[in-house]
Amino acid sequence: MASEREQGAGRPNPPAVPLVPGRPPGGGRGAPVQKAKDRAGTLKRLWSYIGRERKWLAVVFALILADSGLTLAGPYLIGVSVDAISGPSGGGVDFGLLEAALIGLTAAYVGDAFLTWLQGWLMAGVSQRIVKSLREALFAKLHKLPLAYFDTRRHGEIMSRLSNDIDNVSTTVSQTTSQLMSGVIAIAGSLVMMLALSPLLTLASLITVPLVYLLARTIAKRTSSLFREQQATLGQLNGQIEETISGIEAVKAFNREDKVIEGFEDANRKLRDVGIRAQIWSGFLMPLLSVINNIGFAAVAIVGGMLAVKGMVTVGVIASFISYSRQFVRPLNDLANVYNVLQSGLAGAERVFEAMDEKEEAEDAAGSVRLTAPRGEVEFENVTFGYCPDAPIVRGMSFRAKAGESVALVGPTGAGKTTVVNLLTRFYETTGGRILIDGRDIREYTRDSLRGVFGIVLQDTYLFSGTIKDNIKYGREDATDEEVREAAAAANADAFIRQLPKGYDTELSENGGNLSQGQRQLLAIARVVLAKPSILILDEATSSIDTRTERHIQEALLHIMRGRTTFIIAHRLNTIRDADAIMVIDKGTIREKGSHDELMRKQGDYYRMFRNQFKNIVQEA
Amino acid sequence: MGNWVKYIRKYGLSFGVAFLLVAMEAACDLLQPTLLARMIDEGVATLDRTAVLRYGGYMLLVTAVGAIAASGRNIVSSQVSQRFGSELRSDLYRHIQSLSLRNLDRFDRASLVTRLTNDVTQLQNFVNGMMRIFAKAPILCIGSLVMAIRLNPRLSLVLVVVVPVVGALIALNIRIGFPMFLRVQAAMDRLNGIMREYLAGVRVVKAFNRFAGESEKFGRVNEEFRRSSANAMRRMAVFNPAILLTVNFGIVAVIWLGGLRVDGGSMQVGHIVAFVNYMTQILFSLMLISMVFNMLVRAKASVGRMQEVLSVRDETTWQEDAGRLLDGSGRVDFERVSFSYNGPVGAPALKGIDLSVRPGETIGIIGSTGSGKSTLVGLVPRLHDATEGAVKLDGVDVRLLDPKLVRDRVAVVPQKPMLFSGTILDNIRWGREDATEEEVAEAARMAAAHDFIAALPEGYRTKLGQGGVNLSGGQKQRISIARALVRKPRVLILDDCTSAVDVATEAAIKEALRSYARGLTCLLIAQRITSVMDADRILVLEGGEVAGIGDHETLLRECRIYQEIYRSQIGEEMHSDGVRA
Repeated sequence: MASEREQGAGRPNPPAVPLVPGRPPGGGRGAPVQKAKDRAGTLKRLWSYIGRERKWLAVVFALILADSGLTLAGPYLIGVSVDAISGPSGGGVDFGLLEAALIGLTAAYVGDAFLTWLQGWLMAGVSQRIVKSLREALFAKLHKLPLAYFDTRRHGEIMSRLSNDIDNVSTTVSQTTSQLMSGVIAIAGSLVMMLALSPLLTLASLITVPLVYLLARTIAKRTSSLFREQQATLGQLNGQIEETISGIEAVKAFNREDKVIEGFEDANRKLRDVGIRAQIWSGFLMPLLSVINNIGFAAVAIVGGMLAVKGMVTVGVIASFISYSRQFVRPLNDLANVYNVLQSGLAGAERVFEAMDEKEEAEDAAGSVRLTAPRGEVEFENVTFGYCPDAPIVRGMSFRAKAGESVALVGPTGAGKTTVVNLLTRFYETTGGRILIDGRDIREYTRDSLRGVFGIVLQDTYLFSGTIKDNIKYGREDATDEEVREAAAAANADAFIRQLPKGYDTELSENGGNLSQGQRQLLAIARVVLAKPSILILDEATSSIDTRTERHIQEALLHIMRGRTTFIIAHRLNTIRDADAIMVIDKGTIREKGSHDELMRKQGDYYRMFRNQFKNIVQEA
Repeated sequence: MGNWVKYIRKYGLSFGVAFLLVAMEAACDLLQPTLLARMIDEGVATLDRTAVLRYGGYMLLVTAVGAIAASGRNIVSSQVSQRFGSELRSDLYRHIQSLSLRNLDRFDRASLVTRLTNDVTQLQNFVNGMMRIFAKAPILCIGSLVMAIRLNPRLSLVLVVVVPVVGALIALNIRIGFPMFLRVQAAMDRLNGIMREYLAGVRVVKAFNRFAGESEKFGRVNEEFRRSSANAMRRMAVFNPAILLTVNFGIVAVIWLGGLRVDGGSMQVGHIVAFVNYMTQILFSLMLISMVFNMLVRAKASVGRMQEVLSVRDETTWQEDAGRLLDGSGRVDFERVSFSYNGPVGAPALKGIDLSVRPGETIGIIGSTGSGKSTLVGLVPRLHDATEGAVKLDGVDVRLLDPKLVRDRVAVVPQKPMLFSGTILDNIRWGREDATEEEVAEAARMAAAHDFIAALPEGYRTKLGQGGVNLSGGQKQRISIARALVRKPRVLILDDCTSAVDVATEAAIKEALRSYARGLTCLLIAQRITSVMDADRILVLEGGEVAGIGDHETLLRECRIYQEIYRSQIGEEMHSDGVRA
């Protein structure tokens, strides 16, 4: 495969500025100056994945070593056969010797082909395993990232790291590893031969080594930043594509095709331009190397000629020397090329590691305990939260929900109701105060066990592709079919599911596109019913469901709310009037708190909101 | 393959130039050994320093010419392959954007993304690789063949066997590799699909603590990808050694046959040596050719996948001059409209809907979940086309109209607000690109969004994440409404778009619409009866059919389903102490 790849490198950070002239101590071998530390670090981390395969890599190395021997045997045996045909001092053909030589040659060729195949076969496994574990590690990392990471990036951009960038690493590993090994072996071999022939000529032909090094370094310096830019641009383009394909319904509804195409073209053009530059620069390596090689040959010939005049070497030595130095130069070129391809791989790896270095959700504190089957007593103690300190979204909030109580949160959009839920489930961490469940700070529980006790029906229902059954089972994977059906029945979803041609085995298209919004919400509720959580959170759970259906669901919800602490966020006030406590929230603080009747008597905010909601009817009645 | 001709036409010339440059490069490569030999023979051997320097100079000159050719070729091939790739990607993207939703539903969205990125890249790599060595390898190969045959026609009989075998191997390679790489790309689709789903549903994953389950799902697909890639690469790994072995067997045969002939006195040893040298050259060039074919196999799989998308013709049709018939009144008619998502044979989602909406009228639409409300209004902007009957705008069947024209006049606020990454301003301007900031603020005010936007630290320039994730549900809905209003449409469709907005805010929005929407035809889907009860008329849908139509009072008297809905929402409230007060 060609060394140039469309994918190159890059990260969204501003391009690194060359800070220190000269090489930093212990900088990577031939690494470009300004990035030496990063590159070496990236390489080292990459090795931690490659190194897992060191057993197989050692086998591949052994194969290559053996193969190099066979490759050398070929020309030697051809020489023997030719001698056999020429016959001992002009006699007839020595068929005995010829036969033996040709059998040997055949064996060597078969061996060579076999070893080459085995090598390729093994490397395919090795490189794909390395890539798989890298991809796995990145995906595992995603689990530990806070929601804020996903909220601020385009999905396609994150996807690009998992596909395009890792792909780059994959190509690099599979392309360069065996080339690197065979190159080192070949260089070592020819160097020994050359030194044995003539140390002086060896010195002359080594003139090219620093030149090759300088050239590779100069080009790699360019390409490494270009590749990095290319990978970053590719990520952006991927983000652009993914978002506009996902939202194509909106694109069409608003006639925005031309506009999104324009945005796409921008990113596409950027990628093309940086791609051209990256490819041209890396493409210069080979022609320039051949110039250097030929300068090397000329140098050997000229020095050789002068030495021959002085009688220090024979013509024969010069002739074979040139052919050895050819053998020396070829792998040297290969290595230079490997170095260049490596830049592209490192550019990909860098972006993968960059994601792996993102700040994670805080680790569970030492000594944190598992929260299992809590009574469900929830207390907010002077809780404050804000993305930035000067604009708090929740300020000094204190309340207490007794075990089994239902608490409704009402208030205008953006008042901070959903934030309260996000704090309780530790999607976000409080910036002040503390939240207690069963009298213990939620930060003292392990995060997983904490989230395990909640059953949440979110404002934006999300269904995964798969069958309806799978989606309901998302709440509890070991549930039986019967339990699934019961949960669906409780959520009033059983009826419509049964009407579908394949019932519970109906495959949902992406994000449940073949169901109506309301039906999707019913499934989301069934999912929670099945999970049997200790604390229930209903965040606008029924807002897209028609009110007749909602009544049935409410019955079901009332049923599962029994004995469970429940938080309800709703705009339709009639859905929450039976709650044990209603809290009116505005601008991040609790304005009023009490039961429906208490609040109605008080004639405050809640009273006004409630009246407002039925104003029309009252006027007409 | 008609789609591809235009690229050949466009890049053919550059391709030709690259071909010439590669040929020049190859010629220089071929000259080098000869010059070196003469330098040794005429210079070093005779200790002639000027000859050494002369041939050394020639060598450098040839090197320089070769390097120039190679560099030129590098520039041309980089330009061509990258430009070709980017143009192809662009054409594919444009094509996808031009397709109707119905056509698009045939493809998995994640797969479309893969096709636009990875598949284009595969083809681009192939084009670049081909331009680098395509000319060189055949020139070397054919040159060596000709030289070998001229040298010794008898020994060339070996080549008669070797060359077809190698050809067969290459053909076999393509045959076997093609389906394997199709599988690799399909696995890549699934990997992207899982990833995409994970990202879109990350809140649910976290809420349900389902990391383990997701990891397992991902692990399975990842393993599948690993296996299919490793399998494909392993299969491919057979062919290079096989070609190597075939040619090497040829060399053994040449030496053996040569030995026999030398024994018979009809041939010289030197010929054997030279012949073997040519065979080595042929081997080298065949390896290069086989490398190109390795890329071809992958590229072929990708081309097939792109072709699959490109060959989908948009089934949406219209008449160019029908647009003149639009009088701008904003009248909407549904005439015996039936619709099924699966074409005429599928289960109907709508059955025989008849409704005429007068210009400026507000129609409320109510009905239970899955009764076909969204489907019905989606027919107006031609998101889908009626299976039977006709939907008319200004009295013109929308199927005669360019969808663009219809969508310019009809603005939809979807149930699920689809916001895009960018600023709030950008998102509202989706409705109309050239809206001034004044107009944007005006629309936001009507949608009751201005206050909360203005309260944000960066106001209208606040950046949203993909899908507007950093806003609450109600805020997203209001921006989505503002986006439709800034468009100043003739027909406004509100698809239950205030479900997450509190009642006071909803009332404010409706009030603003009432003053703004004078003369604006409005289709309003809602769950809350209070949202629709003051509409001019209300359409009650049940199971895809009209269950009642009329104003609030009429329906309350005559429509059973409407009564039920009313009771479920309001009946109880009427008895509550609060409202009676």
